[in-house]
Amino acid sequence: MIKIFGKRLISALAVLLVVSLITFFVLKWIPGDPAQLILGTEASQESLEALRESMGLNLPWTTQYWNWLVNLFHGDWGSSYIYGESVRTLILQRLPVTFSVTIFSMVIAVPLSALIGILAALFKDSPFDVLSRSLMQLGTAIPSFWLGMIFMIVFAAQLKWFPVTGYTPPSEGFFAFLHSIALPSIILAIGEMGVLIRLFRSSMLSALQQDFMQSAQVKGLPRAMAIVKYALRSAIIAPITVIGNQTAKLFGGTVIIETIFALPGIGRLLLTSVEQRDIELLQGIVLFITFMVVFINLITDLLVAAANPLIRMETGGKES
Amino acid sequence: MSAPVLQLQGCTVTDARDNVLIHDVSLSVGAHECVGIIGESGSGKTMTARAILGLLSKDLKLSARQMSLCSQDLLTMNEKQKRAVIGQEIGFVPQNTVAYLHPLIRIRNQIADGFVQAGRGTRQQGQAKAEQLLASVGIRDPKRVMNSYPGQLSGGMRQRVNIAMALMCDPQLIIADEPTTALDCIVQQQVTELFFQLHQQRNTAILMISHNLTMLKKYCDRIIVMYAGQIVEAASAQEIFDHPHHPYTRALISVIPRLDQDPNVPLTEIPGYVPEKNRGRTSCLFADRCAHCQPQCRQPLQFSDALPHFSRCILQEGGMAG
Repeated sequence: MIKIFGKRLISALAVLLVVSLITFFVLKWIPGDPAQLILGTEASQESLEALRESMGLNLPWTTQYWNWLVNLFHGDWGSSYIYGESVRTLILQRLPVTFSVTIFSMVIAVPLSALIGILAALFKDSPFDVLSRSLMQLGTAIPSFWLGMIFMIVFAAQLKWFPVTGYTPPSEGFFAFLHSIALPSIILAIGEMGVLIRLFRSSMLSALQQDFMQSAQVKGLPRAMAIVKYALRSAIIAPITVIGNQTAKLFGGTVIIETIFALPGIGRLLLTSVEQRDIELLQGIVLFITFMVVFINLITDLLVAAANPLIRMETGGKES
Repeated sequence: MSAPVLQLQGCTVTDARDNVLIHDVSLSVGAHECVGIIGESGSGKTMTARAILGLLSKDLKLSARQMSLCSQDLLTMNEKQKRAVIGQEIGFVPQNTVAYLHPLIRIRNQIADGFVQAGRGTRQQGQAKAEQLLASVGIRDPKRVMNSYPGQLSGGMRQRVNIAMALMCDPQLIIADEPTTALDCIVQQQVTELFFQLHQQRNTAILMISHNLTMLKKYCDRIIVMYAGQIVEAASAQEIFDHPHHPYTRALISVIPRLDQDPNVPLTEIPGYVPEKNRGRTSCLFADRCAHCQPQCRQPLQFSDALPHFSRCILQEGGMAG
């Protein structure tokens, strides 16, 4: 297990380094002069030059990259010129919102998908299975911005079950906090559930068809026990990876939902930084999202290895 | 002779479109008896075993006049009782050694499941018994095997584990479905020997499915020959070889390759294919491939299964009309 962790950690660090290089260069090479953007078109040549000097834009790219990297390690992620604050502060401010919505939506999506998917597999071709498959199609097909607006109109504006927009931090009451992120989380969860139900259903179906289920039957185990001990054991492995990937995706990909519900999260910060060409902020966010994705994938890999001895044997060698 | 361990009468399996897959199969396995079933692929050997074990897929329909295991009627039991009885009285050794053991669970955590379920003891007692059984099926290092995942064992080792697992509840009957398929030939030999050693030592009845007639002859008391979902001949092993009645049995015996045969002469084969359709008819199913076919063979026929040497053919030994 430690060996696997070590291997995965090294590859994770490598990915981070490569992504930091790519981020750095892509943002360096996109047209537009950051100094010009800050000072505007009216600025004099001297003041532009002075700003470039102070921002280090005249140095060779290797030095620029190295300085950026060293600063990152020291916790200095640069500063945003539109907000006039450090990038780190901005990201850490937005993080709780995105984090809560992501986790809450997965907390809704995972158990429900597991329950529906597994029951659908156990009662294959029953009305429940057919219904769950149709709902699954709907969940995948409906765009989240449309569903977001419909839900907002119905459940927030008309029925007044939820606040229409905005975010209440947990410091102002846990219930109020949950209440404020419930609707966006549900909408994200519906999007994720389409994929997850399908996966739980298909992996459970394939587990039920394995020979070890016959082995359990011939050994005299009741069906319920065979399902819990043998089939579920196999069926949970494939979904773990996908749940990890979905969670990672949500950390960076809630732009639309955050915009609709006016939630001050990472997604909206990203959008603003792109719109305003706030290069340092953009660099910081892209790198942060990459870090989250790499980190969650690392955890996912470890979970999969914990659940699947075959993977441990492949990577770890000895096992006993 | 004491009551048979397994008694099957008139067992017929049909699929969802009412195609007959096996037709009117009757067989019995006596206590301490070793019975072999032989036939080509698709002859219904495995289907018969699965029908007995309750492993038929849900879209197949089973009917039988009698199906009893250790004097308990399996036909009138509900699913739950049936599982429990089969779990205790039958040990099954499968053809496939790859996925029959759960690949993600250590041997020690799955081998004793049936033992614990049957209320024969605690998990610890089950594991202790499993270690003894593993040793008795020729595993030198039972502790290591108990702690392994199936993927860490060779095919022969896995099959030994399967055999040990089948013995956990001291079953009255072992059903083995081509237990040496997919093993290399030395291991095949060892596993086969092991079976009959166990048969001798433990006095367990064995129903062995195989397409190796020589092996069955060596070890079995009786041999049942299946063809196209029917039993075409059943008699003692000696009798089957010395006085085969049915032309199909004779053909099977004649296609056994021998060491002393001329290597330049092509191996003999039985022309034609096993019929897939219309297996429920009572006229001879082998007629189209039979060299001795007579007009009568195309008519509905009836055979008595009361005789010690059963044959579903109007001809008797040597091709003479009986």
